[in-house]
Amino acid sequence: MSYICVKGLTKRYDDVVAVDNISFEAEEGEFVALLGPSGCGKSTTLMMLAGLEDPSEGSIVFNGQDVTKAAPGKRGLSMVFQSYALFPHLSVGENILFGLKARKVSNNERNARLEEVLDLVDLRAHVNKKPGQLSGGQCQRVALARAIVSRAPICLMDEPLSNLDAKLRNEMRTEIRALQKKLGLTVIYVTHDQVEAMSMADRVILLNQGRIEQNGKPEDLYNKPESTFVAGFIGHPPMNLIADAQMVLGIRPEHIALSEGAGLSTSVINCDYHGANTLIAVDYRGHALKFILQGHHNHPVGTPLNIQWQRGQEHYFSDQNGRRLAVPTVSHFLTEGLS
Amino acid sequence: MSKLSNLFMTVCAWALGIAWILPLLYAFWAAFHPAETATSFDLTAPLTLENFKTAWQQAPFLSYMINTVVITLMILIVQLVLCTLAGYALARIEFWGRGVVFALILMQLMVVPEILIVENYQTVASLGLVDTYLSVGLPYFASAFGIFLLRQTFMTVPQDLENAARIEGCSRLQIIWKVYVPLARPTYLAFALVSISYHWNNFLWPLVVTNTENSRPLTVGMAIFGAPESGVDWSIVSAGTLISISLLLVLFLIFQRQFVQSFMNSGIK
Repeated sequence: MSYICVKGLTKRYDDVVAVDNISFEAEEGEFVALLGPSGCGKSTTLMMLAGLEDPSEGSIVFNGQDVTKAAPGKRGLSMVFQSYALFPHLSVGENILFGLKARKVSNNERNARLEEVLDLVDLRAHVNKKPGQLSGGQCQRVALARAIVSRAPICLMDEPLSNLDAKLRNEMRTEIRALQKKLGLTVIYVTHDQVEAMSMADRVILLNQGRIEQNGKPEDLYNKPESTFVAGFIGHPPMNLIADAQMVLGIRPEHIALSEGAGLSTSVINCDYHGANTLIAVDYRGHALKFILQGHHNHPVGTPLNIQWQRGQEHYFSDQNGRRLAVPTVSHFLTEGLS
Repeated sequence: MSKLSNLFMTVCAWALGIAWILPLLYAFWAAFHPAETATSFDLTAPLTLENFKTAWQQAPFLSYMINTVVITLMILIVQLVLCTLAGYALARIEFWGRGVVFALILMQLMVVPEILIVENYQTVASLGLVDTYLSVGLPYFASAFGIFLLRQTFMTVPQDLENAARIEGCSRLQIIWKVYVPLARPTYLAFALVSISYHWNNFLWPLVVTNTENSRPLTVGMAIFGAPESGVDWSIVSAGTLISISLLLVLFLIFQRQFVQSFMNSGIK
């Protein structure tokens, strides 16, 4: 049995279903990201795992123990909040030790653990400061330290990096991942940022409207999206999804290349220069396709361009329910122009 | 124009300030002078401490003072406990009828306490509590003002702080004590100041409900000096007044800065 085992978890508010029959598992030491757009139910799921919200239905099992109805403090977990949730009236050290004091851990033990964790998160110089005197990144470290010092085997993180600027976010991403591996923590990490999920997690669970769209390794979500929603959510810029009478064809912008002579004859709609590359939108028989070219390109509107991609890089989805189709039985109109 | 209105404001402020402090200044004057010169304001009049001595001997000030301190502190402590619990419940616990309960408490703010004196006296009498400390404090324990003030303050505490404390295994009472109370410190200080000054000076209810010096506070005790049958000696009345306000006055002068700051911080002026 897996370390974390969630079965049929559902949360209803009056007549709104926030989380709809979610089931997943996580192994010990695994880093699982709950990914999805805002309002998809990922934070509600995390709150139920933490015990801060009561599930309407379903069960939660941690390490063989059913904790569905257990109090948050008795589930053996720690949590890092988006707002950091540091106590403004306590110093950094007191914040970190808050939980140990509440759990009546002895003074010696407390100080030993504080020493250890201060080095881990590099906060020794700030131990006597109040949270108000710290920068965002430092506050984030205090929140991490508070989670680590409890030595809880499970750590829940609720968008911990979304209040940081882009540069700091990249640094903290690496730092959190390194700490997680070093300490062998089982982490459930909620985020709306696919880069965070893809780069940090062992496994990504993509949620949409309270349901799991796909649960798999980051590369599976990218290479084998199970639905048009996954295809459109993962990848930047998102996959081109073109429907014809029978099905939906998906092709990633980064897989499309210019071709000499052969391929689809298209005309330029727009060029968007991004520095290292240019995002070009072209028109093919009334359908817009986007693709990426290295370097700077500035084609006037209407310039004819021939594009192609290697056969086999396209994805097919049902036009009925958006689910992935294994092998197309008939050919899509887009592929007819390709060799 | 603005200069003129500035001048007007300054004059008004001074006028109000002087009007407010005059009785106190007069009390000081009268208390330190013999009765004959109490109303003549002769700067060469001899100073004396005789009035204090007389006043102290005429009334059991020490027991009045103790009564006032005990009653005021008892009311404050019970108020802080009750208002904290009620304020937290109204701010953070969802229960059926919460809005109605809060509306009822707000309504209590609009009722003048004096209206209820007869009703309250009957209640206290039927409990057999007349002439006890408890009887003086009982009507004031569940302070609507305090509940309202703390509820508003607790509402501004981020929910995540409570969640973090719950994850760390704190019980509800621990959360209130370790998270909400420290964060609401300025509000507590402001409320304590209002409560202490109100109950130190409260007169009508203690007059009704106390009979002997066992429970009579300073304000009621002082009234004896002003009673027609004992004759009004302004010097002695003033000396008694100074004795009764001395403790508060000293405390206020010491903590003046903190008081003003806590009022600014808690948003009441």
